[in-house]
Amino acid sequence: MRHLLAREWWRMLVLVASCVWLVTLIPGVLWGRYSLLQAIPDARMVALTTLGFIVAIGWAALPVLIAGGDDTLDPRRFAPLGVKVSTIMPGLFVAALITLPTLFFAFLWLTLASSWFTEGAAIGALGLVGAAVQTVSCVALAKVTASWAARVFANRRARAVALIATGLVVAATAYVAWRALSTGLEKFFEENFDRVIDAAAATPIVSALTAPASAAAGEWASAWWRLGMAVAWTAVLVLAWRASVGLALVTPVYRSAGARGRSDRIVRAGRANPLLLRSDRIGPAAAVYARVARAWRSDPRYVTGLVSVVVMPAAFVAIIIPAFDLDPRWALAAPFVMATSVGWGRHNDIAYDSSAVWMDVVAGRRGKDVMRGRFTTVVVWALPLVILVALLTGGWSGHWELAPPVTGAAVGALGVSLGVAAVTSVLLPYRVPAPGENPFGAEVGSVGAGLVGQLASSAATLLLLPFVIVPCVLAITVDSRWGVVATVGGLGLGAVGFVYGVLVAGRLYDKRAGKLLAAIR
Amino acid sequence: MTDARVPAMALRGLTKIYGTLRAADAIDLDIPVGSFYGVVGPNGAGKTTTLSMATGLLTPDAGTVHICGYDLWQQPDAAKPLLGVLPDGLRTFDRLTGAELISYAGRLRGLAPDVIEARRDDLIATLDLGGAARTLVMDYSAGMAKKIALACALVHAPRVLVLDEPFEAVDPVSATAIRGILIGFVAGGGTVVMSSHVMALVERLCTHVAVVGGGRILAAGELDAVRAGSELEERFVELVGDDREHRDLTWLRPS
Repeated sequence: MRHLLAREWWRMLVLVASCVWLVTLIPGVLWGRYSLLQAIPDARMVALTTLGFIVAIGWAALPVLIAGGDDTLDPRRFAPLGVKVSTIMPGLFVAALITLPTLFFAFLWLTLASSWFTEGAAIGALGLVGAAVQTVSCVALAKVTASWAARVFANRRARAVALIATGLVVAATAYVAWRALSTGLEKFFEENFDRVIDAAAATPIVSALTAPASAAAGEWASAWWRLGMAVAWTAVLVLAWRASVGLALVTPVYRSAGARGRSDRIVRAGRANPLLLRSDRIGPAAAVYARVARAWRSDPRYVTGLVSVVVMPAAFVAIIIPAFDLDPRWALAAPFVMATSVGWGRHNDIAYDSSAVWMDVVAGRRGKDVMRGRFTTVVVWALPLVILVALLTGGWSGHWELAPPVTGAAVGALGVSLGVAAVTSVLLPYRVPAPGENPFGAEVGSVGAGLVGQLASSAATLLLLPFVIVPCVLAITVDSRWGVVATVGGLGLGAVGFVYGVLVAGRLYDKRAGKLLAAIR
Repeated sequence: MTDARVPAMALRGLTKIYGTLRAADAIDLDIPVGSFYGVVGPNGAGKTTTLSMATGLLTPDAGTVHICGYDLWQQPDAAKPLLGVLPDGLRTFDRLTGAELISYAGRLRGLAPDVIEARRDDLIATLDLGGAARTLVMDYSAGMAKKIALACALVHAPRVLVLDEPFEAVDPVSATAIRGILIGFVAGGGTVVMSSHVMALVERLCTHVAVVGGGRILAAGELDAVRAGSELEERFVELVGDDREHRDLTWLRPS
C-alpha cells in the first residue's frame, strides 16, 4: 500500500476523499440505528432486508463495472511466482476484509444489527454474528462476480451460453415485470410488498441479517436455519472465489480456446459485400471492415457494448413505462435511446481498437479507409436493429401511423451520433482496457481524458440531435403532418451526418496518426 | 529517387521531449542504401522513440525524416510504401489467424488478393509458421508473434525495413531463418535498420552501427570505424559509460 501510494500520488487523494466521504456517512448510519431502535421487529426486518438486498446487488455489480482501479492484488499477477492457491488465499482474504468499503459496511451492519439487543442479549449477539457473516458474504460475492464475469466473457463458448442465458433471463424478467407492473408501481407494492419482503428475507443473500427477526418472534429453529443458510452461502462464495484464484494462477484467462482451422477470411473479404461501396470492396476499407467485424463477434469489450444497447430499451418499455404508468407513446422513445447510445458508445472507438492502430498507421494515409471500414461495421448491425425496434415500438404502442417518422428520426439519430463519435474518437481518444482485459474495467489514469472525451461527444451529440428528433416529437404530439419532415429529414440528416462525420474523422486520423498511439497506449 | 547517394533514411534534428526528459535530442543520422544498420544503446537510451518517429508511429517535436529522399511526415504517400516496420512493445490485433494478419497487412498496402496469397504462403513457409498459420495470433508464443509481425512488415516488399528488436524471444531455428531473409534482403539492394541489445548479433550482421545514449547519437558509421579496433561491446561500454555501483556479491556463492 505504501509503495503504491508513493508511486501513484493520486491514489492518496482518492483514499483521503473516500475516507472523508465515508466519515460523512457515519451520522446517517447512527440515525439508521436510532430509527431501528424505535421500530418493531417486523419493521426492522423489512428495513434490513431491503437495505441488505440493495447493498448486496451493489457489491456484486460495482467491482465488475469499475474494475481496474487497483490491480495489485489481481491473482493473475501472482501467476509467474508459482505460488499455490492455498498459500495466497489467506492473504487475499484478509486483504479483501481490510479495504475501506469492507470496513465501512462491517461498521454499518454491526451498528444496525446492534439494535436487536432491545429484544435480549442472545438475539443481539445473533444479530452481530449475522452482521459479520453478511459482511464477509458481500466481499466474497464481489470477488466471485468480478472474477467469473471476466472469465465468462473471455471464453467463446461460455460467452455464447452466457449471452443466451442473459437474453432468456432478460426476456423472462421483462415479461414478468410487464405483467406485474402493468397496473402501476404503487398498486404492485400495495398488493405484493409483504410477500416480496418475506420471500427476500428468507434468501441466503440477506438471511444473516433477518435471522434475529425469527428469533425475536420466538422461532429459534428458523433463526438458526437462516443463519446457517447464510454461512453456507458465504462458504460457497468463498470456494467459488478460491476456484477462480486457482484458475487465474495456472490458466491465462484470455485465450481463444484454441480456435483453429480457420481459412483466410481476410484476403478476399468484402468482394461481394453489398454494404460496402463498390470502390471499397477490393481496397483496405473492406479489410478493416472484416477485421473489425471479427472483433464485434469475439471481443468481450465489443460484445458487452452490443448487449447493453439491446437491454436498455427493452427494460424501458417493459419495466419503466408500466411501472410509472406512462403513456404508451413513451415507448416510441426507445429507438432514439438505442440509436443514440449505439452512436455515442463509439466515441472512443479508436482506443478500443488500439492493437490494430500501428499497422494502419505505418501502411500510409489510410484514415478514410480505416474510419469507413470501422463505422460500416457498426451500421451493419445497428441500422437493422434500430429500424426493427422503431417498427416494434410503433406497433406495441398502438400507433402504427407513427412508425415512419419514428424510424426516420431514429435512423437520423444513429447516423448523426455515429458521425460525431467518429470525429471524437480520433480527436479525443482515451485509454480503455486493452484487448484481453476486463471488458467492464476502466484504465488507471484515464479518468480525466475519458471525462473530456465523453463530455465533448455528449455535447456535440446533444447539439445535433434536436434537428432529427424535434420534427418527430411534433408529429407525435402536435400534427401528424410533421411526420413527413421527420421521416425524410431524419433519413437525410442521418446519412449526411454519418458520411460527413466519417470523412472528417478519416482526414483527422491521417493528420493525428503520430499522436494516436501515444494517446491510447 | 533511386540514386544510391540518397540515403535510405535520413534523420535531421529529430527531437522528442517528455516532460523534462529528452528521449531523442536532435538526432542526425544517415542510413545508406543497401546497408544493414544496427542501432544499439542501453535501456532507455531512446532507440524505440527514435525508430517510432522514423517510421511515422510517433510525431516528433522537431526534426525531419526522409525515406529515400521523401519526407515521411510531409509526403507519407510516397514515403510509407517504401517502409516495412516491426515495432517492439506494441500489441498486435490478435483475433485474426497468422495467415489473415499477413493478408490484412497486404490489403492495407493495396496489394491484389492473388499477390497477397502468393507472398503470404511464401512467408509462412520461410518463417516456419505453416503449422500455426490457421491459429489465432492470440494463441501464439512471443517468438511466433514476432515472426508473424515480421511477415506483415515484408509482405509489400518494402525498400527499407525498420525492425525494433526483431530477434527478441525468437528461437534459434527461426532466428536463422530471419537472418537469412534479412541478409538476402540487403543483398538484393534493400536496407535494414535494426535495434538490438545483442552486440554479437550486431557485429555478425550489420555493416553499419549507431550507438545511442541519453537520446543522442554517440557514434555512428561503418562497423569497423565505430568499434575502432576493439570489440563492439567494449566500445559500447566505453561510449555509454559504466557507472554502476560495484558491490561484493559473494553471498551468491552456493558454499
